[in-house]
Amino acid sequence: MLELRAITAGYDRQAPAVRDATLTVTPGESVGLLGPSGCGKSTLARVAALLHRPDAGEVVLDGTPVHRWRHRAPRELRTAVGVVFQQPRLSADPRLRLADLIAEPLRATGRRSSVPDRVAELAETVGLTPDLLTRRPHEVSDGQLQRACLARALVLRPRWLICDEMTAMLDASTTAALVGVVEAYRTSTGAGLLAVGHDRALLNRWCDRTADWKTVTGW
Amino acid sequence: MTTERPPVLSVRGLSVRFLLPGGRRVAAVTDAHFDVAPGECLALIGESGCGKSVLASALLGLLPANAQTAGSALLGGLDLLTADERTLARTVRGRRIGLIPQSPAAHLTPVRTIRSQLEETVAQLTGVRGRTALRTAAEQAAERAGFPPGHLDRHPHELSGGLAQRAATALALVGEAPLLLADEPTTGLDRDLVDRTVDELRRHVDADGDRALLMITHDLAAAERVADRVAVMYAGRIVELTEASAFFGTPGPRHPYSRGLLEALPDRSFTPIPGLPPELGALPDGCAFAPRCDRATDTCTTLPPFTGSVACHHPAPAPTPEDIRA
Amino acid sequence: MADTTTAVTKTVWRAHGTARRSTHTLRLRVSATLVAVTVLAVLLVPPLVRLDQQAVDLAAKLLPPSWSHPFGTDDVGRDLLLRCVYGLRVSLLVGVVAALTATVIGTAVGATAGALGGWVDRAVMRLVDTFSSVPHLLLGVFIVAMFRPGVWPVVISVGLTHWLSTARIVRAEVLSLRSRPYIDAAVSGGASRWRVVVRHLLPGVLPQAGLAAVLMVPHAMWHESALSFLGLGLPTHTASLGTLIQGARGSLLAGQWWPTLFPGLFLIIPTLAVAGLAGVWRERINPRRRSELTL
Repeated sequence: MLELRAITAGYDRQAPAVRDATLTVTPGESVGLLGPSGCGKSTLARVAALLHRPDAGEVVLDGTPVHRWRHRAPRELRTAVGVVFQQPRLSADPRLRLADLIAEPLRATGRRSSVPDRVAELAETVGLTPDLLTRRPHEVSDGQLQRACLARALVLRPRWLICDEMTAMLDASTTAALVGVVEAYRTSTGAGLLAVGHDRALLNRWCDRTADWKTVTGW
Repeated sequence: MTTERPPVLSVRGLSVRFLLPGGRRVAAVTDAHFDVAPGECLALIGESGCGKSVLASALLGLLPANAQTAGSALLGGLDLLTADERTLARTVRGRRIGLIPQSPAAHLTPVRTIRSQLEETVAQLTGVRGRTALRTAAEQAAERAGFPPGHLDRHPHELSGGLAQRAATALALVGEAPLLLADEPTTGLDRDLVDRTVDELRRHVDADGDRALLMITHDLAAAERVADRVAVMYAGRIVELTEASAFFGTPGPRHPYSRGLLEALPDRSFTPIPGLPPELGALPDGCAFAPRCDRATDTCTTLPPFTGSVACHHPAPAPTPEDIRA
Repeated sequence: MADTTTAVTKTVWRAHGTARRSTHTLRLRVSATLVAVTVLAVLLVPPLVRLDQQAVDLAAKLLPPSWSHPFGTDDVGRDLLLRCVYGLRVSLLVGVVAALTATVIGTAVGATAGALGGWVDRAVMRLVDTFSSVPHLLLGVFIVAMFRPGVWPVVISVGLTHWLSTARIVRAEVLSLRSRPYIDAAVSGGASRWRVVVRHLLPGVLPQAGLAAVLMVPHAMWHESALSFLGLGLPTHTASLGTLIQGARGSLLAGQWWPTLFPGLFLIIPTLAVAGLAGVWRERINPRRRSELTL
């Protein structure tokens, strides 16, 4: 279970971006979180990915309450959650080739030996050609880069996936392709999904259930 | 659309290519032909990296130094592609083309109020002089774009996404430009805000009937809401140019790529087009879509000419007169 | 290839933005040539021209520029061209070593402050502010005054006073990179704090730090000259641009301009050339500019 209990979080204690948000995702479930832009849903996604310490409230990941965040969070907890962000340009280190981008989490967690196999396998899954893997982010399109970012999020086989407006910058076909990849991964692994977005039609089609920001925060 | 009036913008054989270090060439736009009539909205759709933003930059004369162009883009007798920077800066940008930017928050100067930016633009683009006259003119400009006068003294960061978009639109409208060019005006906006933004753009086109809108977008729903005609771009070429009603309604798009794009929408079959678009630096000789196309045959190794409304060897049947009336 | 498309409709290609490009290359060429000439002169003249820069010839003192002495001679009859080249050599050596020292210190301090954040950042930056509030030269004078005159005290003095600006630049850059989603993605991918700094943050700031280092070379040369001019830097018999200008003070008042002008030019021209090169470099590392070049 990925449980967010009464989360209040933000960048300014006087004016938190998220107030009292409660949301639960069960294993294998896909939940869409629907909210207008600027409502704080991205902040909540960062909290759920253990990237941002909430001011109040509790995050419970598979029964373990989370007390430490970012670097201090235990590595097993951090890597149990894969994240994909809205803007692929900003979420990719501009100096890394796409192959290194995808392999980075494997190297960071000391699993170098599995790099060639996993990268090739995931490139195939997300539809990247070997030629694209040798390029740097500024040499590929937004859609191709987002495919690589999704591959990076899946490379450690996370039990939870958080997609924060993953498809907002993408055309319809790439959107459908990436959603297809996420769903295939979930079907084969039973991972849970929190998809954050503002497109009701997309989230309704994609997810088992869609939660409105208003109901999540209670006001 | 209505009576036969000369088009606001007439693009003929527009091509843009980039010369890269090492002698590589990237054909970003190839042989684009289209017109935008007064009172009309043309939506240019396609995925990221298909060359549609490059086309916009070419029209504005904002291409980087390693670009080359060919063809012509006539805006009321002036060829935008051969005009020098001085002409473009003094008579085109703002005066004959109003640009509605992709991210209004980044387009506005962060350290100045909306009022001071509007007043500056009014002073630059119109003959209005004098403090009170400028103030009034700026307020009128804000009103035209539906920007609330009470928010004029705010800075861009104090505005919501929708209001920032209106402020940017107000700036674009000041010069009474006959052509509005909107480059991905709805990226990252909520559905409600997308609808409102494109409705307002439509309103500005309808307001006097002389203005034309060229909207570049990957958002098919936004295009459906606002456009009279749709141009679909794939791998730098316009592969289909047709009436929006036929494209989004019955009989639907004729080019297999357009069909695939439309079918990928979550409220349709939500299935992607297989494969990836080709590299603009290494386009095949024939139809660029053939490797991803289920209708492809041997003829697809030759370049399909643009006939009627579509550039394809095996398009879906053309709409019959009954279809159009329906 | 893309050319096949051009064959179909006999396309006539037109170039764009040629004007901007040409001044760009001109700037690059002039600056690069001047820097190359400076470096070559400094490296090659002393071993090739076996003349003694210290050769005193009282009969030929304070001669104006002529064919045998293109820059004239100084008050004890030493050839000024030779003295200037030797002086530049010392000044450049001091400048490069001091700039490297300052950049290494500044990058380490700035990256630490920016990457750790919190109270470490606040403490370190207050320390930087404190150092900055003391004029560089005063601090530099204080440091050289603790040692015997020589090259190393000057290097230490410059290094210890000039890392502040680099530390600020690097910290600001680290802070801006630290909030990028790609750092979030790295953390989420299990990267340790150390790995994030070494693999993602430092490579991102190195171009900026390198730029700061290059710009600091002329800065350090000027600092050395100022110290030597005050008589605190290098001993007067060691030719550096500062000691040359200092030694020429008296003759300037007597109307002999050349002993001051030529060392001065040797200080100014490399400075401008380095600034020109740095400007081109800055455009190169600007991400927007880079994306323009590739597409």
